[in-house]
Amino acid sequence: MKVSRRAALFAAGAGAVVVGAGAVGVSVAEYDPPEPAAPPATDASGHIVWRNWSGIRHSYPKSRVAPASEDELAHILKTGPAPIRAVGAGHSFMPLVPTDGTLLSLDALAGVTAVDGDEATVWAGTRLGDLGPALASRGRAMANLPDINKQSLGGALGTATHGTGKHLRAIHGDVTALRLATVDGNIVDCSKDKNPDLFDAARVSLGSLGIVVQARLKTIPSRRLHRRVWLEPFEETLAAAEQRWATHRNFEFYAVPFTGLAANITHDETDEPARPRGPETDSQFLEALKALRNLFSFSNPVRRAAARLLLASSEANPEEAVDDGWKLLSTERPVRFNEMEFHLPANAQLAALREVVETIERERHDVFFPIETRRIAPDDAWLSPFQGGPRGSIAVHTYYKDEYEFLFQLIEPILRRHGGRPHWGKLNSLKGADFAALYPRWKDFLALRRSLDPDGRLLNDYLKGIFLA
Amino acid sequence: MTLDALTRAMVCIVAVAALSGCGSGPPSAAELAALKPADGRLAGLYEHSCKACHATPGSGAPLVHDHDAWAPRWAKGLPTLRDHAILGFQAMPAGGQCAVCTPTDYERLIRFMADQEDK
Repeated sequence: MKVSRRAALFAAGAGAVVVGAGAVGVSVAEYDPPEPAAPPATDASGHIVWRNWSGIRHSYPKSRVAPASEDELAHILKTGPAPIRAVGAGHSFMPLVPTDGTLLSLDALAGVTAVDGDEATVWAGTRLGDLGPALASRGRAMANLPDINKQSLGGALGTATHGTGKHLRAIHGDVTALRLATVDGNIVDCSKDKNPDLFDAARVSLGSLGIVVQARLKTIPSRRLHRRVWLEPFEETLAAAEQRWATHRNFEFYAVPFTGLAANITHDETDEPARPRGPETDSQFLEALKALRNLFSFSNPVRRAAARLLLASSEANPEEAVDDGWKLLSTERPVRFNEMEFHLPANAQLAALREVVETIERERHDVFFPIETRRIAPDDAWLSPFQGGPRGSIAVHTYYKDEYEFLFQLIEPILRRHGGRPHWGKLNSLKGADFAALYPRWKDFLALRRSLDPDGRLLNDYLKGIFLA
Repeated sequence: MTLDALTRAMVCIVAVAALSGCGSGPPSAAELAALKPADGRLAGLYEHSCKACHATPGSGAPLVHDHDAWAPRWAKGLPTLRDHAILGFQAMPAGGQCAVCTPTDYERLIRFMADQEDK
């Protein structure tokens, strides 16, 4: 294992902390909660369990299918056991997927089918991580990517998945046309010119109107980006955030609770030669933050002092990389977590963030994940959280082995009070009436859904709860 | 949050085990990209569900045909590994998020990745 001079300095400083605590200190630092209880691998009928990525949602589908053609998909939608729910990478924390009917994978409907000018037609089963190199081979790129790129395109569109950038829309904001398979066995095309209401409704529709089979996406010429990551005091980040969103192509930051610091990340276009990013190390960083939690949760001042001692050199030494955007904008996330994310009016974002950090540091000393803060440009999809104006997102994560109910009790009220709309795939407790108050076209969406799927073949219990209640 | 120096140093402090265990190393990047099961259907499942992590250095997953990484896992026995794959375990999400894999598919995929197909 190579350890740089800078790392050696960290090691020396941090070593003193743990050596002082001795073997018991090492044991406490390394403590990892037990694996959460798992459901049975199969149910009484022998159906194998499906669980989401973090493990908090599960079901036992009677049927699991991966159609290889539109005709096959249309037949399944017409005849398969309901509820029929599409699944991609299972990264949603809300129960969008669980079904005891049909679990539908679009993995066999993946890839880029055509590039025409600046638009690409893509099968909805394409994983975002595969779309980057597929477009790059044609000299094109998606304008933006989310933090995680394991999702299928269909899943990302359906839940309004997004990246960061004041002038960059969520992925569905760059869709110019869709092909939708409906429960009556038809395939319907829609765009701003053809079936425009369906187009505006279907871009973000949770798999409840039909199954998105293909999307036509606006793309941009493939460019290299310059990535810069640095730590600085949280207050300095808050003071500079708006200016950074205004001047950088992509800007986001992570407030690191109990440290008084924030990790800033910018990406800007460049013609510099490539300087690839090193191996993923975020999971080790999280292990370190967990160790600080384990050792020092009894005292915020001690925890903060220990963290600042360890991080002092990093504050002065940003890390940089230059590469194709698809290689830099997303990150491996091998440490599983649960997450709540709300999208707030941009002018409320930073005040809400300050309140969230203060609340966590006052009430929840077990939290160690950094809090992600991003900015997203508006679009006009009916159920887009970014409909009507720019939004700033705040995402609070908890380790998958830790308790997460506090998100509903402590964090959600803050984010709602500041006008937030929840990410469709992330933890929230909102009901139909709440969504009706947040989305001006909610009733129009419900009416369209009823017309396309009157028997609710695409609705599981959660979706019935918000669409039929 | 990619703070190389910080994270490497912190690993030295809080995870003593991270300082040990240097082995013969995983397959090269070219090998990782090229390796796939001989069976066409199984190769499709691997490409869609396993490869994203098990052929990506730094993902936390044991890399395909990385014998040093797989040896202690294989020692737990195939039924245990299959159950971990189905239910999820540590960084491994349940089922590898394969929507159509059967228990037998998981066993065959594990055998392939551990390079134990003849066992």
